[in-house]
Amino acid sequence: MERIFYSDEFEQLLKEKADQFRMYPSKRVWHSIYNNLHPSRRWPSAAMSLLLIITLHLTGYLNTNDTNINNQFIGNTHTGNNISSHNTAQKTEAQRQVFTNTKQQSPNAGLEYAAKALVTNESEISVNTDVSTVDQGTLAQNNAGTEKFSQENKVSPIPDNNIVQAIDAYIKTNQVFTDVAGANKKVKLKASSPSIDNIAEEETPGENGKNKTGTGMSNPKNEFNTLANSSGTDKLAPGDKTPIVKKDITPNDKSLAYEEKAWIEDYAFHNKPQGKKWKGKLDVEFYATPAVNYRKLTTASKGSTAPFATTGDINQFISQKPGLGIESGIDLSYAFTKNLRLKTGVQFNYTNYNINADQTNHPVLTTVLLNDPITGYSYLASRTSTISNSYNSSALQPVVLHNRTYQISIPVGLAYKLSSTKNVDWFAGASVEPTYVFGGKAHLISSDLKSYVYEPSSIRNWNLGFGFETYMSYKLGAYNLQVGPRVRFQAYSTYQRNVALIEKPYAVGLKVGIVKGF
Amino acid sequence: MLTGCIKNNAAAQEALYNRFSPRMLGVCYRFAKNREDAEDMLQEGFIKVFTQIHQYRNEGALEGWIRRIVVHTCINILKKNKKFTDSVDIIHATSVHIKEDMIPSIMQAKQVVECIRTLPLGYKTVLNLYAIEGYSHKEIANMLDIEESTSRSQYTRAKAMLEEILIRKKIIQKQRKRTDFYGAVSPS
Repeated sequence: MERIFYSDEFEQLLKEKADQFRMYPSKRVWHSIYNNLHPSRRWPSAAMSLLLIITLHLTGYLNTNDTNINNQFIGNTHTGNNISSHNTAQKTEAQRQVFTNTKQQSPNAGLEYAAKALVTNESEISVNTDVSTVDQGTLAQNNAGTEKFSQENKVSPIPDNNIVQAIDAYIKTNQVFTDVAGANKKVKLKASSPSIDNIAEEETPGENGKNKTGTGMSNPKNEFNTLANSSGTDKLAPGDKTPIVKKDITPNDKSLAYEEKAWIEDYAFHNKPQGKKWKGKLDVEFYATPAVNYRKLTTASKGSTAPFATTGDINQFISQKPGLGIESGIDLSYAFTKNLRLKTGVQFNYTNYNINADQTNHPVLTTVLLNDPITGYSYLASRTSTISNSYNSSALQPVVLHNRTYQISIPVGLAYKLSSTKNVDWFAGASVEPTYVFGGKAHLISSDLKSYVYEPSSIRNWNLGFGFETYMSYKLGAYNLQVGPRVRFQAYSTYQRNVALIEKPYAVGLKVGIVKGF
Repeated sequence: MLTGCIKNNAAAQEALYNRFSPRMLGVCYRFAKNREDAEDMLQEGFIKVFTQIHQYRNEGALEGWIRRIVVHTCINILKKNKKFTDSVDIIHATSVHIKEDMIPSIMQAKQVVECIRTLPLGYKTVLNLYAIEGYSHKEIANMLDIEESTSRSQYTRAKAMLEEILIRKKIIQKQRKRTDFYGAVSPS
């Protein structure tokens, strides 16, 4: 460019205004550019699908059969049957404060129509008020994801004097109406311009609920616009006029309408209100991880007392199989940066693996190896057992022992975005999980490796877990679907310190989660 | 970001695109007939930018370099559509009618841009290239395959017409009384 700018003020004005002008392109432009520059990149969906299928098949294959155990010798378990549902009684009371059972009619057809629309989805809010003995069936029904509970209390429509207040509160809290009202104001500003002269007026619905054209109140948007433009107590008298902008009829009508729309979009983009700082950064995730649990036993004997009957790998003398467990919970994640997220939440863990054994006909005196809590030296403690290690018995009734734990943990971790495309993100994450074990079953191998002793008290109450995962996050509208493998290790032995056995289980599973952003 | 673009890194390319695309789309919009055409020009322009990014020699601002590529892309597209081979647009566009209600009442920079876009294609292009993009008449003549004198005369007429429009829209004040033939004008 050879010329010197600004030969006069007019050119200076043109240059300044043109440089200030911005327009924001649609997403398709970038997508087209990207596809043009990177034609060979295709998301490895086939590979990930194959991995998912293989993992699911592996999980199902390794899940062993549950065999009925003779509870006469093993005893009762504590499985947490008293886990209750959320406090439905409190919810019932709160809802009763909002809605009443009066049946007054509304003289205003328009407001009543809106009230019915608001109440429609919440008319079935009857709640089971008895929370002390919620059975599993009701619990499952209540957790179905809908708001339909058992049919004990029906709710009548809102009375007339509360309709207006309810609608007011709804309008004030519902951003949709204010956005529509704002858009209407913008349209009104444009309507006042001399370049757009064709302004039509439309009467509000009359007493019969129909407008001038007889279309009635069938258009919710018009109805909500009317509500947004009026106060809660104003009555919409017949003949009231609500100005709207009629389509321009100039020769270049189509291009101008599109440009008008584009300008409104650009203006809204530049002038959008400041949102909350954490909005868009905070997500909530509901997830479940069906997993296969493995374990490895080691011995921890000390001193001169005869240790276990073998000095080699004790696992060679035990017949055991991995079992199916699950980890499920709720996570909150906060995006520190574009690629790094902090996650924490609550997680319920169920671990399980299976031991093949045989049930004896009579109790057998045996010993288990324990460690003295003060000196640390091992000693033999007498126990009775009716379960024999299947390696050492014959012609006895086979049984499958289930070593289980029920845990609550608070995972705290990080997730890092490895890659991102239009709708799919790839993350890797790790977490530390302080864990409380509130129940379970444990069978200890005897010191001579010939018997199993049921010792639920040997389970450690507090433990620490570590989780490692990688997952794909797929955008599905307002939600994200996250799928990926996860491994969880346990830092400390399942058993308490006084048990001369160390069990370090680990779980390999497939995590599936639904994420919703705030 | 520049290094990443040279290495064909998608994230770096997207960052560069997000940074410069709003202003570049504004540039394309001044040349194009509508927003869709402007986005097509922008798309093609940025593809050229990314494929030629390795030729950028850090001589001058990156935005200026991108802008030159985008402007040339716009001109090439217009030429490809055989707009400038029609001599009526450049030479004989003397009686042009512009109706008042064709120009929407909008605010700030967009007002001026929209007024520029209402000009006939030839006037608009020369005005954009000379007054806003800063090309000389000689460069414009080479780009549009016209004579330098044609470029000068078209610019003079375009400037006068635009000035009249802006005065009618009360965007600028009338500085001197005009008694020439720029009355009611219609687009070609």
